[in-house]
Amino acid sequence: MTMTQQDAAAEAVPASADGEGHLAEHDATVREAHRRAIGDVMLEVDNITLRFGGVKAITDVSFNIREHEIFAIIGPNGAGKTSMLNVINGFYHPQDGTITYKGNVRQRMRPYEVAMGGIARTFQNVALFRGMSTLDNMMAGRLTKMHGAAERAFDKSLADIPVVNFLTYPFFWTADFLMDAFYWGPYQKEEERHRRRVEEIIEFLEIVDIRRTPVGRLPYGLQKRVELGRALAMDPQLLLLDEPMAGMNVEEKEDMSRFIIDVNEEFGTTMALIEHDMGVVMDISDRVVVLNYGRKLGEGTPDVVQKNQDVIDAYLGVSHDRPG
Amino acid sequence: MFYREAGQFSTTYSQDQGIWSIKQDKWATFAIIGFAFFIIPLFASPYLLTVLLQLLVGCMAALALNILTGYCGQISLGTAGFMGVGAFAGYKFATGMRVLGGDGGAVTAATELVPMIPAVENIFVAILLAGAVTAAFGILFGLPSLRIKGFYLAVATLAAQFFFQWSFIRFEWLYDYASSSTIQAPRLSLMDGWVLPFKVPWFTWDLQFFWGTVDFTMKVSGPGYADKLHQYLIGLIFVVLFGFIAKNLMRGRIGRSFMAIRDMDIAAELIGIRPLRTKLLAFGISSFMAGIAGAMTLFLYLEALEGAEAFFILDSFLFLFMVIIGGLGSIMGTYLGAAFITLLPIFMVNFLPWAGGLVGMSINTATVEHIQLMVFGGLIIFFLIVEPLGLARLWQISKEKLRQWPFPY
Ligand SMILES: Nc1ncnc2c1ncn2[C@@H]1O[C@H](COP(=O)(O)OP(=O)(O)OP(=O)(O)O)[C@@H](O)[C@H]1O
Ligand SMILES: [Mg+2]
Repeated sequence: MTMTQQDAAAEAVPASADGEGHLAEHDATVREAHRRAIGDVMLEVDNITLRFGGVKAITDVSFNIREHEIFAIIGPNGAGKTSMLNVINGFYHPQDGTITYKGNVRQRMRPYEVAMGGIARTFQNVALFRGMSTLDNMMAGRLTKMHGAAERAFDKSLADIPVVNFLTYPFFWTADFLMDAFYWGPYQKEEERHRRRVEEIIEFLEIVDIRRTPVGRLPYGLQKRVELGRALAMDPQLLLLDEPMAGMNVEEKEDMSRFIIDVNEEFGTTMALIEHDMGVVMDISDRVVVLNYGRKLGEGTPDVVQKNQDVIDAYLGVSHDRPG
Repeated sequence: MFYREAGQFSTTYSQDQGIWSIKQDKWATFAIIGFAFFIIPLFASPYLLTVLLQLLVGCMAALALNILTGYCGQISLGTAGFMGVGAFAGYKFATGMRVLGGDGGAVTAATELVPMIPAVENIFVAILLAGAVTAAFGILFGLPSLRIKGFYLAVATLAAQFFFQWSFIRFEWLYDYASSSTIQAPRLSLMDGWVLPFKVPWFTWDLQFFWGTVDFTMKVSGPGYADKLHQYLIGLIFVVLFGFIAKNLMRGRIGRSFMAIRDMDIAAELIGIRPLRTKLLAFGISSFMAGIAGAMTLFLYLEALEGAEAFFILDSFLFLFMVIIGGLGSIMGTYLGAAFITLLPIFMVNFLPWAGGLVGMSINTATVEHIQLMVFGGLIIFFLIVEPLGLARLWQISKEKLRQWPFPY
């Protein structure tokens, strides 16, 4: 399907204007009142350049994401949006440029280190653990937060003493392993503690009745929701959403937009999302950055970006297939 | 009608996270374990016990492989090799790590072997130490798994298998420089000299009460010395204990990190799972259990063996078949698969000649073996195509049917 920005915007209008959709409840003024105030810069992307051999996926792009805001990255297909998220995740390493997260310039990091730092992510193509149930997928999201009782004791008392920590860690690790192996007291408590949090999220996302279903058997829309759940289970400070509404029907899109706004309001989670549906983007995001052929075209509030001539040209000039 | 969860509710998360989702399953498990511990000893012949010991070793090895391949997705064709490491490690510990004495000249019949450490006399300690040594080797050989996956990893583990087979002949120290390169389990006993002046039912594994004495001594290892029944009981303890441990690990955070790596390693890394650590942990746990299976083979099942032959590449494949037929990523499936692969040949050896006799055909053992291979091959194709989740899944489906019976809706 070929679609221009105007088409996309036009399509989204009835959905939010008919008063049925949840989006209507969240019109700008109401939202502003509930929102936590947008704070300092949380993540700063500075002059990032990323090449794959001869292909320049990203050229000299800079922007920043502020605390508590919903930040949208838009652009035609192949603009480098997903690549940008992969750079933030530490999955790709840019040839040039720096990323500053919470005030610290980030060194080259492995993706799991980024995740431990509080950045969660969903994928353009659902990347759930297909062999596991909804519950297990979401519990997996809490793995970085689950600690053995012994590990906790170790952290408190010994972790900072050089040599001693190195020599004693194996004993603490073994103690935790044995508690795991027998599902014993402290471990069971830990499991329960995290289960409670996951159940909250399950209720929040209204997926209570598919708790036990292997995710491979769920319809696409629900899989996307479970994936959001898994990311939320990480209690992230920054949540990266790669086309959370791709391939969804209008109703599912509304639900998803509502969840995104609710997460932002209730948990104060900062979000960066990639989305092709201009209606949705204009509705829910605070600020937008536009990429085209790996370069930044513009940045600003949705209405400013919408009026930017470069942006309009890019969208009109490049016909692009919207997934789904 | 009787098999359903009606009226069973979990009121706490800890109940909900339990091993068994339905009470009937729990009772069935306890009934089977109770039967194996208390009833089988009453009637089992030495032949049956040998078969059961083979089955226990198979269960342990398949469990090891299922954790690595079924749960963590790292294909291994080296299970038998790791079992061999366990067998030799167990042997060296139980014999005190003997080295050649004398001047280091040519080995003759008179050359003395000198132990370096006190021999480990407790079979539990010996077997667990064997597991620990094997775990170390497993972690070492698991290192390539960070870089290579799937088929290539399978080939790498195959290389490990061949390396181990070669070492079991090449390094004479392992078999105490015996000319036949075989090792013999040393004599081991448990609770030696513990005697009760009266009899208690079952303690002697018969139903006699009160007269006589009970000698608790368990002859657990050593050809010509060991009591098959005692060996069976020790093996059973290991299999039940590690089945329980495996189940607990796999339903907890460790199992989740394994399955995450298996299902989608990139997403796993982006939710904070460290791939190398997790894979190495899987290799460690798996080879710990494989080592135990190997030590069990030496001490309990075969008692005397030649490393390269007892832990042959074909055995590795058999364990893989067990896991595929039983169900990848299912503890219960592991046991079903192990039972199936171990018992089917024995059944066929006894049944086919008899069945052939009925229709006037004489079937010799070679034919039986060929038929076995055909049956295994056919079954593997069947399970890979029709039901990749194996017997465990078939069992689950029939349970779902049973729950609805007699009303299918
Ligand atoms: N791993 C890779 N190797 C080689 N080229 C890549 C790789 N990943 C991305 N690219 C290239 O980088 C460019 C940007 O791709 P990217 O996936 O970031 O686009 P996108 O904006 O997310 O597009 P879409 O809207 O289709 O998701 C494309 O030309 C793509 O072919
Ligand atoms: Mg993309």
